[in-house]
Amino acid sequence: MSEINVLIVDDEEELVSTLAERLSLRDIRAQTATDGEVALKMIEKEPPDVVLLDVMMPGLGGLEIMKRINAMDLNIPVILLTGYGSTEQSNEGMNLGAYDYVLKPCDFGGLVAKIHEAVQSKQK
Amino acid sequence: MTEKEIAFIGRITAGVTHEVNNVLASIREISGLLSDILSITSEESFTRKEKFETSIQKIQNQEKRGVKLINQLNKFAHLPDVSSTETDLNELIEHLIFLTERFGRIKNIKLHTQPSGQSVKVITNPFYLQMALYNCIEYFLRKLDAGGMIVINPDIRKNEYSISINAEGGLPENSTLFKDASSEELLNLNKITTSLGAILEFDDSIPGIRIIFPINA
Repeated sequence: MSEINVLIVDDEEELVSTLAERLSLRDIRAQTATDGEVALKMIEKEPPDVVLLDVMMPGLGGLEIMKRINAMDLNIPVILLTGYGSTEQSNEGMNLGAYDYVLKPCDFGGLVAKIHEAVQSKQK
Repeated sequence: MTEKEIAFIGRITAGVTHEVNNVLASIREISGLLSDILSITSEESFTRKEKFETSIQKIQNQEKRGVKLINQLNKFAHLPDVSSTETDLNELIEHLIFLTERFGRIKNIKLHTQPSGQSVKVITNPFYLQMALYNCIEYFLRKLDAGGMIVINPDIRKNEYSISINAEGGLPENSTLFKDASSEELLNLNKITTSLGAILEFDDSIPGIRIIFPINA
């Protein structure tokens, strides 16, 4: 199986960098972005296999990023990272075609499993 | 307190719980990364490996405890979001006991609930109902001695839903529990239950308080 490339988009810098390191220990290459605009440029330049996207982002919000990813028509599964008060946004994100969502703090094993499932769903 | 003031406190608290949740999420990943690294580190190269593993486990246990607390606090902060809604009494009581059991623990008084086997839902203001129950808890905590227990249970009967708040043990002999109707907690309780359209019943023989919601009210 080829290496999986993930882009983690969340404004919590320490969270994303640590998540990326943990994923790399499981042979998942993870790049990070703490800003929506930067994330979109990274996706355009090198489309990842999966995007992990925080719903509540300052500036360009998670749902807006999701819409713009959809507009790129790259067929990238998006897994939403949600916290409190973002249930409505998560539902909206699911309506926009997100693959799934996970609650923060994440169950890491569950998140890794979801990433693999998302990649497989893309290959079908 | 006005509804606007209550909403203000709720919103600020909810915002902070969101931030604390992010802190806990980072702690979970950082401690997880330490575990990951330790799992691929041999005993020979790291003689204090076991001590580190135990310490990481303690951090993870505290993080889980923090998540549970902050979840419940977030739920509490959102109570004033609605003035009247369908409220599950089983859930509301369990939530309040979780938030207040610390007050009991300090006095060595246990707070307990036995949820009803069936769903007990009433249309009410959940924030004010929790405040009413909190007044009952505070009243009993002041009256009971160490070793006592406060039991809060929902009930459903033909024409009414109710919550009973009973004292078990820890009551001084010949105490006249509800004679002092001028106590601040009972006055507050009366005011709140009246605003909720509920009925209050005091029973010295149990001793206990019932908050009754007539079904056709």
